Amino acid sequence: MRRALVNLALILVAFTIQNCVFPLIPVLVSTPNLLLILTFSFGFMDGRRMGMLYGVLAGLMLDLFYSGPFGFYTLFYVYVGYINGICTKYFYEDYVTVPLLLSVANELAYNLYVYVFRFLIRGRLDFMYYFRELMVPETIFTVVTTLFLYRLLLFINRKLKDYESGRDTTLV
Amino acid sequence: MNSKYNRYILIGLTVFCLALIVVTTFTDQWLAPLRTAVGYLVTPIQTGVNRVGVAVYDDVADYTKLKSALAENEELRRQIGELTEENNRLTSEVFELDRLRELYELDQEYMQYEKTAARVIANDSGDWFQVFRVDKGSADGIQEGNNVLAGGGLVGIVTDVGAHYATVRSIIDDSSRVSAMALQSGDTCIVGGDLTLYREGRLTISNIQKDGDVKDGDRIVTSNISSSYLPGILIGYAKDITLDNNQLTSSGYLVPVAEFHNLREVLIITDVKETGDPEVE
Repeated sequence: MRRALVNLALILVAFTIQNCVFPLIPVLVSTPNLLLILTFSFGFMDGRRMGMLYGVLAGLMLDLFYSGPFGFYTLFYVYVGYINGICTKYFYEDYVTVPLLLSVANELAYNLYVYVFRFLIRGRLDFMYYFRELMVPETIFTVVTTLFLYRLLLFINRKLKDYESGRDTTLV
Repeated sequence: MNSKYNRYILIGLTVFCLALIVVTTFTDQWLAPLRTAVGYLVTPIQTGVNRVGVAVYDDVADYTKLKSALAENEELRRQIGELTEENNRLTSEVFELDRLRELYELDQEYMQYEKTAARVIANDSGDWFQVFRVDKGSADGIQEGNNVLAGGGLVGIVTDVGAHYATVRSIIDDSSRVSAMALQSGDTCIVGGDLTLYREGRLTISNIQKDGDVKDGDRIVTSNISSSYLPGILIGYAKDITLDNNQLTSSGYLVPVAEFHNLREVLIITDVKETGDPEVE
């Protein structure tokens, strides 16, 4: 329970940083997608059910921020949580290759989703331009950020788990 | 058993989201209270983080700018001399302009619109959409459809309002379309955002009638037949206008007056265009 609350707070913080701090840094060509990193990491660490829960929350925040069709982001993030939750069987602590691969896959899937349903649908056919100028930079930024952020999330989760199990044993 | 539940949850959520997407594509009025409620939670956080971010960024920027500022100071002193001289000349011309305006009743209308200033507190961080959020909302008299200005030109339109925030879609957003006209000739055209152009600081102009007279450097303003933009707001200047392949219309590019990167403060016009006639556009 405490873990869920901390993770929720982290999602809120990530959303705020993503929207309020990153745009202030004009040197950045692109910015990492923090919400996506958080959602897939939590799904990957905690399994499908929790992945979906965090996905719903991250998606709802984005949907409330934008004024497009409501549910567009929620739908995607729920699947991110679920599908990465399936991969939880490959979850070994300190083994960072799988999360890095996952971050590439998730990021490309996310950008394709946005491209197909918001751009291609309006007849924007120049896929290579969007791929080169938007998807590749954002993916690179996200993967590099995952490298650091994933370890941090792992650390926080481990601490909280220790804390919870520690409390359980003292009660017993 | 557990994984079966998970699958049911997933299917349930999918159906729920798809239903929401379908419903809100047609109307999202009923979402307003929800957005406002969440806004009460998120907007203060965004405002706070934004303030801290701006403060830190300004401090860092101050140091780096100090050096160039000194050189700039020299340059500016020199310019002050030139400008003072030019100012004297212009002041006399302003009197002449005023007289001419009265004469032609060309007083630019948008100087009379009710405006309110707002601070930009959040941007879309991804590169796909050019949407931002400001710290004024319906409590300050802002409504959906209000026009947003900065740096003397049109910046965007309010698409969503909460009690203390409003979401603005920039005119450089890929889905933005503004009905516009050339100030000199009155030829109408459409100014559209394009993601592939905005890094070069350009928008597209299209649908100029073949015999229309729009030249490079012409001032493009919002048209009086637009259903959502007030007439006569400067958008930018025309560039590279060429005849289309269909030989019926011309199109080209527009260089906007407003600076879109690093928008900090904007002016929101709280008057809404009254079209009266729903068939106008």
